[in-house]
This record gives sequence, C-alpha cells and structure tokens, in this order.
Amino acid sequence: MSGTEARLARVRGRALPRSHNARTIAALAANPGCARRAIMDAAGVDKQRIAAYTGYPAPFGQSRFALARGTAFEAQVKASGAAGLLTLLREHLDLPIPEAHYDDLNDVGGNTDLTVRYAATRQKLATAVTSAADAGTMFDHPLLRLEVGGRHAFLEPDLIAFQLRGRFHVVEIKSFAVIDGQADGDKVAQAAIQSAVYVLALRQALAGHGVAPETVADETILVCPKDFSSQPAATSVDVRKQLTVLRRQLSRIARIDDLLGQLPPGLTLDLDPDGAGVPQRKPAGLAAAIRAIDARYAPECLNTCEMCFLCRDEARGTTARLGRAAREELGGVEDVPAVLRLARGEHRPEEEGDLAEAAALLRSAAALRAEILGEAV
Amino acid sequence: MGEPVVELERRIAALRTALRMAALAGEKEQARALRAELRAAERAWDDLLAEDEAGAGAERPAGTAESPAGTGEGARVTERPGALMPLREQVHEALSLLTVPAAPRLLAAVHEAFFASSFPTARVTSLKRDEERSFRLAPYARPYYICAALAADRLAPSRGLLAVSTWPAERRMIGSLSPRVDFLVSAIRVADAIGRLPAGSLPADRLLRRFAANIPGVPVHSATVDLRMVVQAAQAELEVHQAADSRVRRAAARRVRELDDVQQLFGARFGEERVSG
Amino acid sequence: MSTLISLARAVAVERELAQPIRTVRHVHLADRPLVFIPLAMAGEANAPLAAMLGDDPASARLLTVAEPRDRDQRFAFAAELAGIVLGYIENSHAPQLIVPNPAGVTFTRLLGRSTRFRRTSGEWAVPAGVPLLGRWLTFFSERYEHPASSLMVAMTGALTEHWATGQSPVEDLSLGAVLGWVDPPSGMSGAQAAAAAEDPVVCPPAGPATDPTFDNEVLEPRMLAIRTAGLTGDGRAYDRARQAFDEALATQLTPVWAMMWRAVDLLRRVPEAGHVRQRWTDDLDAVAWHAGHIGEGGPPQARRDGAVAAARRLANMERIQEMVAVQRAFDDPLVMAEYRMTGAAFAGEVVHAEPDRVDGSGRRRVLRPRVTLVTSDDVSEQISASELTSPARPSQKARVVSLTAAGDQCRVTVELKGGMGRSLTPVPGSVPAVGERVCYAMVSDSYQNPPALPAPEDTPWTHGGPPPQYTPADDEAREDWS
Repeated sequence: MSGTEARLARVRGRALPRSHNARTIAALAANPGCARRAIMDAAGVDKQRIAAYTGYPAPFGQSRFALARGTAFEAQVKASGAAGLLTLLREHLDLPIPEAHYDDLNDVGGNTDLTVRYAATRQKLATAVTSAADAGTMFDHPLLRLEVGGRHAFLEPDLIAFQLRGRFHVVEIKSFAVIDGQADGDKVAQAAIQSAVYVLALRQALAGHGVAPETVADETILVCPKDFSSQPAATSVDVRKQLTVLRRQLSRIARIDDLLGQLPPGLTLDLDPDGAGVPQRKPAGLAAAIRAIDARYAPECLNTCEMCFLCRDEARGTTARLGRAAREELGGVEDVPAVLRLARGEHRPEEEGDLAEAAALLRSAAALRAEILGEAV
Repeated sequence: MGEPVVELERRIAALRTALRMAALAGEKEQARALRAELRAAERAWDDLLAEDEAGAGAERPAGTAESPAGTGEGARVTERPGALMPLREQVHEALSLLTVPAAPRLLAAVHEAFFASSFPTARVTSLKRDEERSFRLAPYARPYYICAALAADRLAPSRGLLAVSTWPAERRMIGSLSPRVDFLVSAIRVADAIGRLPAGSLPADRLLRRFAANIPGVPVHSATVDLRMVVQAAQAELEVHQAADSRVRRAAARRVRELDDVQQLFGARFGEERVSG
Repeated sequence: MSTLISLARAVAVERELAQPIRTVRHVHLADRPLVFIPLAMAGEANAPLAAMLGDDPASARLLTVAEPRDRDQRFAFAAELAGIVLGYIENSHAPQLIVPNPAGVTFTRLLGRSTRFRRTSGEWAVPAGVPLLGRWLTFFSERYEHPASSLMVAMTGALTEHWATGQSPVEDLSLGAVLGWVDPPSGMSGAQAAAAAEDPVVCPPAGPATDPTFDNEVLEPRMLAIRTAGLTGDGRAYDRARQAFDEALATQLTPVWAMMWRAVDLLRRVPEAGHVRQRWTDDLDAVAWHAGHIGEGGPPQARRDGAVAAARRLANMERIQEMVAVQRAFDDPLVMAEYRMTGAAFAGEVVHAEPDRVDGSGRRRVLRPRVTLVTSDDVSEQISASELTSPARPSQKARVVSLTAAGDQCRVTVELKGGMGRSLTPVPGSVPAVGERVCYAMVSDSYQNPPALPAPEDTPWTHGGPPPQYTPADDEAREDWS
C-alpha cells in the first residue's frame, strides 16, 4: 500500500471504503476548493454515516418509488440485447443494420474484481477501434477509471455505444421525462456533467492503448422517457463545455498528498467500534476532527454533499452561508458582523482599495434603508 | 377506543421517529429491526380498530390473518386462480414458446399473454440455483432442467438469461449478435402464437407491440399490429445477422463439450477448473 | 439580488428574524384565492399522488390517488380536480391560483399539458371537464411567467419578494423555512423556527416532492395494503386501507395548508402597492379573453410556439418587465432605493424653489419652474443628461440644470416641465415646495411601442417557416400517460 493510500486509510479508519462515482466527482468538481470533501471522498469515507453520527444527518434520502422507476426504466431500455436502445441509436447514429452487437463487459467469467473488469473493458473497447470487422456496437456495464486528486476512481457509465470504425458515444439512461422536447434544466445539466466525467474517463482508458481522444465523441446520448409515457427517447448532449470545466476543476483539486500534509498527524474519522461493532467514538471528538479539515461551504452543498448540515452550521455568521451572490453583493466581506460594522460606519477602513469601496457601498445601502424604514440598520 | 389504542399510537409514533433516524444514519440492521416492530405495531392497531368497529366477537374477513404489509408479493400470488403450476413448469412453457434463451421479465410477460397467469420475476433467480442443486444431486433425473445460457467467449453463465437443458447446446450459447437474433426470433414466435390464439389477448397484443416498436419496417402507429409484417420484417433483419451469429454459437458449442455436465448446463465460473468428462 | 437585499439578509442573520425589503405589496391577493397543494409520486413524470385545495381556510378538499401509475385513476383524479377548479373559476369573478413554490407551478403546467389535448368522447375518452381543466391550468401556468400578472402565485416567491431571510436563496425554496424566518412562533427566533422546519417529520415538505422517508416507511406499505385488499376482494379491508392511505397523505398536506393560509394573512397585512390594481385589471381581462376563446371553440394552447410567436412573446415580456420594474419603483421607496444605489435616481430635500419661473427664450412663454434639492445620493453624468420623472408627479418631466458638490452631498437644480396645468401659473401642489422630499429617476412608466416583427404567416424559412395550422390530432387524445 502506498504512503498516500496508507494515510487515506488511516483517515477513514476501519470502515469499508466507499467508491467515487460520476455524481460525486461532478459534485467535487463543482466545489474544487473544498479540502474536506476531497479528502473524505478520496479516503472513501461514508459521509452519510459520519454526518449522522455527529448529529447532522443529511437531508438526503432516496424514495424507493424513484429508485424503482429508475431501475425499471433502465431495465426496459436494456432488455433483449438493449433492443429499445438499438432502435434509438439506429435513428441517432445512423447505425447500419448489421451493427447490432451487444457485449456485456460485466461478464468476465463471473469475476467481479474491479481491476480485472477495468482491464477487460479497455481491451474490448480498444479492439473495437482497431479491428476490421465485428467490432461490437453496444457495450454494457463498462468499467472505467478516472484520476481524481492523484488517486484513481472507478466509474460505471450506463452503456457505451460504438459506431463501426467510427467513434464511441457515452450513453446515459435517466428516468426523468423529456416533455415536448424539454426536460428539467437542472437534471439535464447534472446528467451532462456526469456524462462528461465518463467521456474523460473513457479517453483516459483508451489513451493507454494508443487510441486518439477524438475517438470518444464529445456528443453523448441521453435516454429518457418521452412525454408522459415510459417509451424511451434519445437526445444528443454536447458536453464540450462541461469537459472544459471538468478538466479545469479536476486539475485544481490539489493533489491529495498536499491536502493530507496540512492535516494534524494521526487524524482519523474512525468510529472506534467495539467488539460488537458498536461505535465508541465521542461525536464531539469526531466533529472536531472533521473541523480540522478545511471546508468551503456554499448553499449548493445542500443539494450535493452529505456533510452539508455540519459545514453549514460551521459557516454560521459568514456571508458564504448566504450564498456566493450575496457575498459578492456585500463587497466580498466574509463575516456578517464585519459587514454590519462597515455598514454602520463603526469601522471605516483607512486605505483605498476593495475594503474601502465595499464599506462605502454598504454605508450607502444602510443609509437608504434607515431613511426609508425609519430605523437604523 | 381505549387505552391500548392510545398506547399503541404512542409506540407507533416513537418507532417511526427511531426508524427515520436509523434510515438517515444508514444503520441498515437497526432499520430492518425497527421496521419489523413498526409493522407489527401497525397491524395490532389495525386489528384493534377492526375489533372495535365490528364489536366483540365479530368475524374477521378471511385472508386478513396475515398482514399484507408484512409479506412479499410472492406469498399472495400462489393463491391466485390458475397459478397452480410450479414455477419451473411455467418458465418451461414460456421458454418453449419462444424457443430461444430469454430473461425472466420477458418470460413472465409471455406466460401472462398466452397462459393466462404470471409469476413474480424475483423468484426466478432462485429457480436457477435450485435447478443446479437438483441436477448436482441427481443428474438427468428430471426430463428437463431450467438452466443457463452461456457467454460464448468464456462459457460463463450469462446473467439474466434462462434456457432449457434439452435444447441443442448451440442454442444456449450467446455471442454478441445473439441477443438481437434471439429478440427477432422471439418476435416471430410471439406473432405465430398470437395467430394460433382462439380469441384476442390484450397482454399478447401489448407484448407484440413492444417487439414491433423495435423492429425496423413495422409501422407502429396503426391501431392493430399486422402479424405478417412483424414476421417479414424480423426475417429480413435475421438474414443479416444469422450467419455470423451461428458461426460464433457453433464454435462455442464445440468448446462447451470439454466441460463437465454441470458446467455444460450451468456454465463455467472464473477460476473454476475445467473438468472434462 | 442586490447589496440592499443582501444587507437586509445580513441584518436578518443578526436579529434572527426576516427583514422587510419592500414597504408595500407588489402582488395582488384575491379575496378568495384558490390554494392548491399538489403532491407528486416520486420518480414518475408528474404523476399526481394527492392534492389539497380550496378557497376557504376552513374547508380543505383532499384528493388522493391510490395507484398513481394507473391511467384511469389519474384521469379520475383529474376529473375530481376539474370539478373543484372549474367550479371555482366560474363562481369567482377574480380567480387566483396559489401554490407553495415554483416546483408547484411546474407541476401545474405539466398537469395542464397532459390533460388539455384529451377528448371526452371516442376511443380514448377521458371524463368530462378534464380537457377544460388542462386548458385553464395551462393558462394559469403561462400567466406565472408574465411579469405583470398575479393570476398564479408561488408562495415562497411572494414571501421572499417582500422579506429577506437570514438564509440563502436555495433554502428560500422551502416554504416552512421562509415562514419560520418571517413569522416564528412565540418563544422562537426566526432562525430557530426555520431550523425546526427542516425536519420533515415536524414540518412536511410543501411538495410536489414528498419526503423519501415518508414514501418508504409510510406510503409504500399503505399502497401495498390497498393493492392487496383489492386483490383479495375484501371490501372492508380495502376501505380501511384506503382510509389509512388518505390519513397518511393528510398528515403531509394539512400542515402545508395551514402554512399557506398563514402566508396569505401575512401578505394581506402589507398594504397593496399603487399599480397593483391596474395590473390586476389587466389580469382579469386576460381571464375573460381566455374564457371567451374557449367559449367560441378556440383550440387549446399549442405544444410549442412558432418562431415568430416565440420572438414576439419574448420581446413583449421584456417590455412588460421594464414597465413593471418602473411601476414598482414608483410605488415603493425601497425599490426606488435600488435605482438610487446604481445612480439611476436621486432623492433629497428641496431647499430652494422657483415655482413661477417662466422661460421666454422661445417663440412662446412657457412655465419652467426650477427647484433645488440637496441629496446624499450619487448624481452621475448620465442622469444629469437624461429626462427624469418623479414618482410623486409622474406626468411631470425634469432635467438637471446645475450640480454642485457640497461636502458629502450634492446640490442639484432641476427644471420642470408639464403636469402643472395650462396657464403660466402652476396649479397648487404641482411644484415641489421647500422642505418637501422629492425623488427623480431616469425611468418612465410610459408605454413603449412593440418591436416590428413579421406576421406569423411570413415566418422566414430560417426560423422554420410559417407554423402549421393547429388541428386536433388523434395522437394527442391517445397519448400515453403511464
């Protein structure tokens, strides 16, 4: 085990590691400055458990109805050699009739070891590009890998489609509806970023086999129920922008080693289970350990990270808690009491510069409110 | 309404809160235990109210002895009329109609369409396991076994597909074109079967529609699906794939003969030593 | 968002209570609004699970769907809903639909979409009233996008338009949290009340999304009980199961119902802004038009606009948005304060006035009073060069004629034109007097002409050509809803 892996294992403690998936990578890339999340995800910490244990259970939950519907829709699309998907792909990619192959990359003789599956995926896909004929069309359950913060995360896109001697298209199956050609903007955006993660991962996977990156198209395919039925419909999603953003954000996520180096030595999030498996760690102690890792809370975390309530509580009294826009509007001042002191003229910065400008802005705003509401701010 | 009901309600509220906390914390074991307790309490509450309504000594309608919330779907289904056949026979019936390997969901739909009763797909996964165990204990004791379809490359069992042991080995081998070929063959079989039905069947029509929607050359928006068109279109595409597919399946069938009897029917698993015989 | 509003949020954080950001109410509140709280089944495309609605806080109607995936049950729900909603529209002379949040508007819009193309006769007939319900729901949802309309209101938006909470806009989507900040129960601060509202057991979500734990632990078993009772044909068990199901949904909806009417009361206590009545009159005209259109057999709203219609609609909305923004500034000093912050307006006390000043330089002698005021606001070059209007005297125009710094402040002299009567003596009160506080803004609430766009039949081919005539199709009546 490498030094980094050993340190991450110590942070995690005895709990089993949880793996990254496209959603967590996308969320991480949306908040690259958060060391807390970067380290917890790299170490494979069960954030939901930790959050609940420290008294801040995450507001997330999966309704079994939603899960069932998602699973059912995916199963429907992939049934019978992905017959439903093949129909859509024929329309979308102009697949000639002979290109109707279906390969289940999960089937490595029943071996479920991740490294074995990853190697098999790379091999099969690379062969598809270089082989003359019978190259395969649809590859189900591919296993990919992406480097995040200097560590590798295994990823499982829904399916990869391939056009003979042409290009690979990542296919994502989601169960939110596309009605009259339009779907929930947020959900589509999320799906687009996740697809971009897979595109990056696939390009990385094939690079080792000498396959050019353009072979993986930056046009992915999103399959959703059409209108109010459960009939699938395919939409092309251009993820060029997301790829640019992702690459930039992923490079910003400091190498995990550097972040680990900033931690107090011996820091661990272990729950200290006794012989019967009952955690003995004091919640306050665990919370203190978590707080020793820098976080960067933003309200968006409430939708994406299980630690959100703990970090939000920590951010009480900061303008960050009000949102990035609010902080900007308040001249970038980080602290609410500081904002109010500036607004009330109790603190008047001497030198010219950003703070003086912010102060003037806040004083004007305070004066206006006081004038109109008839009471001092 | 007396004390016991109020007491129960308090307990139910407390259990719900505890369950919610456990669920949020990801404590699966605890959640499971709490859930079972909650169900029992809710059942008891239900019963108390029913007693109260009907007065002491009133009869309870048959079938409520077992709370529906406590058991899975499977228990109910065996009480449905027409479902007196064991699962393995129902699956065999459906597979024999299709003549090609198929997934549990499709088999259930086929059975519902043509044999007027369905089965819960969840039980089918344990069926394959049971069949293998039965075969190991007494090989070839039964006229047929529900067995696996094997992936052509490593002869491992193809997840999710079922087949019949009495079929020629070739038919049970799955190459990369086989799912498509088998889909088209299934469509033809279903169309033929509909043609033989004495009366219309809504589930059969729905099933055929799902096939038709995924075969090029079949108009989907018409009020009825033309059986002949489905067969013709499926045949047309089959001609494109069949030769290549058969080659792969035949080659795999030759290799599978080197495996032992159990492996030939239920597949070779990774790391298993191939035993000839 | 603006510095003024963000500052109000900062104050809210300090005081642990929401702070007003408007002095008057810019949304109309009908005498008897129809409060509509829909719940959708998780994971489905807008499958209705339940709804609580009514125009009287004392009598809520609860509708539930035991099997939301069943097409017939969905349409039965729609039929029952139609009875209530259409009855309300018919009997109310001023109908208004209020839902808890923007997601509620989306739900309504999609429900309208999935019902308005149906037919009440023929092979895929739906119960009477359903297509008509669809058209009205679509109408209300479309009015929600209209900047000047109050026909459809999302309550979280209406509250956060008038109060700044001490939390982020993301958290402001929760009705319980916003109400906690604005109107905490006695003994609790706004911050505490908002935190309490985050516990879905204490405060169920306002929908349409349900709490997943509720789905998994309460709803699923009760739905299974109904299904089982149905299968075994046990009528008594079915009724009990159905009742238990309805009661469970009521536990999620009744608290939200109470919150909605609390919010209505809170908003009613804020005095209505001046221009609201006029905008509401326009709203009622739109209702009458739509009713007439239906009455004359007009077709339901198309799935999508043709290119010209879309462009026209967008341009229209932008103009109306401008107009409404100015109206709000004229009605509300706190909105005008935004303009003052950006240098688009200034206000101060009049220190000198020449009400009878006459300008004889042109062919005719004209009345051109001048007033001088002292202001602490920024008076930019741009504003000095523009024609200005004052909220207090909207028909009068002003122009800056001199500007001198006076320490922290500015002495501004403006020349006034119009709004003073026809003679060379101003009507009393039409010119600001010394000591009066006045405000001048670089905006006007007068009407601007719409942009010239081609007629729909002349849509250029680059934009898809002329849109096809709408003919109701079989497809739409038969469209899947599963």
